[in-house]
Amino acid sequence: MSGHVTIRLASERVNHCVASSNELPRFYTPGEVISGMQDFMRGHGTYVEDDCIKSSVAGVMQKVNKLICVRPLKSRYVGEIGDVVVGRVLEVQQKRWKVETNSRLDSILQLSSVNLPGGELRRRSAEDEQMMRKHLQEGDLISAEVQSVFSDGSLSLHTRSLKYGKLSQGVLMKVFPSLIKRRKNHFHNLPCGIAIIIGNNGFIWMSPQQQNIVIEENKDEIENYELQPISKSDREIMARLKNCIAALVASKMMLDDSSIMFAYEESLRYDDVKELLDPEVMLDIAFLTQHRLNSIMEE
Amino acid sequence: MPLDYRRFNGPEDSIPYNYYTKEYLKSYHELHRELIDENGVRKDGRTLDEARSLCMFFARTDMISQAKGSAYIELKKTKVVCSVFDPREIMHQNEFSALGQLFCEVKFAPFSCPRQRRPHAPDAEEKALSVALRKALEPTVCRHLFPNYQLDIFVYILEHDGACLAAAINAAGLALADAAVPMYDIITACSLAVIGDQMFVDPTEAEENLAIMNPEKDGINNGLITMAVMPELRQISDFRQIGSMDVNCIMKATEVLQKECEKILPNIQQILVLNVVNSFEQQKQLEKEAKEREAALNAKMEEWKTLLNAG
Amino acid sequence: MAGLLLSPTEKIYILHGVQDDYRSDGRTNIDYRPMELETDVVSHASGSARLRLANTDILVGVKTEIDVPKPDNPGLGKIDFFVDCSANATPEFEGRGGEQLANNISNMLQRAYNSSQAFDLKQLCILEGKQCWKLYVDILILECGGNLCDAVSLAVKAALFNTRIPFVKAALMDGGSVDFQLSDDPYDCKLLEAGTAPLLVTLCKIGDKCVVDPSAEEESCSVISLIVGITGNPKYYSKDAIETPNFKCKCSTIGMNGPGSVAPETFKNAINQGIIAANSLDEALGRALLRERQECNNFKKNSYGFLK
Repeated sequence: MSGHVTIRLASERVNHCVASSNELPRFYTPGEVISGMQDFMRGHGTYVEDDCIKSSVAGVMQKVNKLICVRPLKSRYVGEIGDVVVGRVLEVQQKRWKVETNSRLDSILQLSSVNLPGGELRRRSAEDEQMMRKHLQEGDLISAEVQSVFSDGSLSLHTRSLKYGKLSQGVLMKVFPSLIKRRKNHFHNLPCGIAIIIGNNGFIWMSPQQQNIVIEENKDEIENYELQPISKSDREIMARLKNCIAALVASKMMLDDSSIMFAYEESLRYDDVKELLDPEVMLDIAFLTQHRLNSIMEE
Repeated sequence: MPLDYRRFNGPEDSIPYNYYTKEYLKSYHELHRELIDENGVRKDGRTLDEARSLCMFFARTDMISQAKGSAYIELKKTKVVCSVFDPREIMHQNEFSALGQLFCEVKFAPFSCPRQRRPHAPDAEEKALSVALRKALEPTVCRHLFPNYQLDIFVYILEHDGACLAAAINAAGLALADAAVPMYDIITACSLAVIGDQMFVDPTEAEENLAIMNPEKDGINNGLITMAVMPELRQISDFRQIGSMDVNCIMKATEVLQKECEKILPNIQQILVLNVVNSFEQQKQLEKEAKEREAALNAKMEEWKTLLNAG
Repeated sequence: MAGLLLSPTEKIYILHGVQDDYRSDGRTNIDYRPMELETDVVSHASGSARLRLANTDILVGVKTEIDVPKPDNPGLGKIDFFVDCSANATPEFEGRGGEQLANNISNMLQRAYNSSQAFDLKQLCILEGKQCWKLYVDILILECGGNLCDAVSLAVKAALFNTRIPFVKAALMDGGSVDFQLSDDPYDCKLLEAGTAPLLVTLCKIGDKCVVDPSAEEESCSVISLIVGITGNPKYYSKDAIETPNFKCKCSTIGMNGPGSVAPETFKNAINQGIIAANSLDEALGRALLRERQECNNFKKNSYGFLK
């Protein structure tokens, strides 16, 4: 991408498909019969009619023991207990925050499930309730873990660990939740010097690695630290990572730390980060990443 | 003016008689020659860089007694009246808005323009002027003090002889100050018409018309600029240009306009200060009169008392 | 497009990035995101174009009709812009929700195309004082991902470049009325000269600096944006480029958007930045259009349309 503007023609449109080594799974469309009722249970994305389990969405069938689910290709995030999510505070309510997590209903963070300054375990006083907006206000981003799922499907979050909590300077990316690979760990310090949180809900947070600031430091200092400009080199790496993730998403490739890191390494052959916005370059990176993933699988 | 929007107003196909006069058929050059003579003096006796606000700046507040604040500005033949009403809660709004909203409406009187009669229904130009006025006023009003409230500002252009947007902004700024609406700064505005390499500060309608007419010679600068400024904060709150100008011209025009806008500031300040002084004097006068009346009454009482006692 | 919520620290990150001239996706302050353009997408319009810039999708169709010229300008044709924000773009546009935005954009375009140096309306004249062509430029916003003004102006220029007007074989006065004949051959038509048509550049003020082509996140960091309309350079739009030595791009309109205000210095820098951006936009657009026309001439062009 030279110059400041590129305009391509529709005839030069890039097809972002990347061949993957995995076999294509069987797809089901709404109304399609999955199996007879005999000894299966119906899960999400299915319904029962005429003693048959039928799919109600277009997607891939999943079978856990006797439970049959159909997962749509494009869906909002369906939370599970223990998932790491990144969310944005929408509203401060009585004793709780409403958090947007890309799921069907807004999630809830109770005042009782956050760590408040000064002591891990103490009673929440009326004062704390009044100070809620000081702690987290509308628009703030947090990382959290799903504590429980309410009956209506909305999530209850908690941040009772030092690794969770309010996020400082950085970039948020929103991708399809179905592209996130479930891993043991969703917090990564990438070798390129960037910390990344790959939220199960499809929100990916990138920030420079923290220089081990002590939490107990006085508040002003932390705030001051939050306002410091980020160095240009960190900024460049983050921009590169962001564009790499965008490239992988455009080709509908699964995201985890290794695929992101591979894409990052492959992207280094392009000096200028803004070149990565070009659709052809995006495809190239996705293709090379897929290639590397395949070769690892073979080993 | 009440207008029945449900009624279908047929197209107004009458045309002003001016189209048939000799005046109308004049060419670009004739018009240009008419506007300015060889010595650089304009038709109304001003020099190019002389605004009407300097020779004749007539403005007053409290024009409309029932409004919270109002102002009237007269720049020779451009006459504008503006009224500001009390903030009121925004109707039919389900979302809370932390900042107050300004509702501006600019309306031409039907007989205000030299050429066409203005229709009652708001036309595109009036709508655009209303948007421009709101844009110019928004940065200066302390809107965070009116959450979920709406402030109505109505401008009526009684007579239009150029620079009506600038006059409207000036009047609205004055009316807002008169209504004691909290503001960060006074707002002033000025217009400029560019014809070739000449810059007509504070143009008349004829000059404006020529500036947006397409010149016969290609490639020369022409156009109109209106700029609104917050003079103390040194910020431009609105800038509107039309026509075609190169960069240098715009840069130069910006400087000229900035200076002109600053020149208007003392005029407006003077009116506001005079208002305060006048009301003080009035108050004093009233108090004095009240005292006199009381003294007279007391004297009467004494008189009656003595009369009664005597009786 | 307001309503995107950002945390204060995210805003600081964006602000510092703009200060460093290095934005969160690696672009500098005058870089645009890649765009995709296709002309001649609507069969019943005289000219049409579709432009996609990141998530913004614009479809423009030009219809030509015959009208009577205005008494003030007997020798000029007419051009009118209508913007339609369909509720497909965002649910906010439902009903009259998009009306104000649509009016703003069509006003801006109307003002930008007002000057004869921006778009010559003389080419739309059929018979002076009696008949002229009227161009209806209808702009459909299919998807709204920020930076509408710029995308719309690019698409409009591409559509005008693509517009064909039938040749008038003969036009004569017959008694009091005009009588003219159009060519029967649908391919017998002339192309509009749209080389000088203006492009709008939105400059979003973030901190003391301005950026072009803001993303939605960047837009929500800014309280004011400047819109500058810059006339195009016809040399980018014809194959046998005739270099006019002292050609200068001109501003055909300037306007502001948003509740904030701007310091005079920032304002001047922004205008200069806008001119540079408009120039590179113009060059890229011209090249793309010429390339497409070439393709069209060489072999029967495939229409790609909306299928991806």
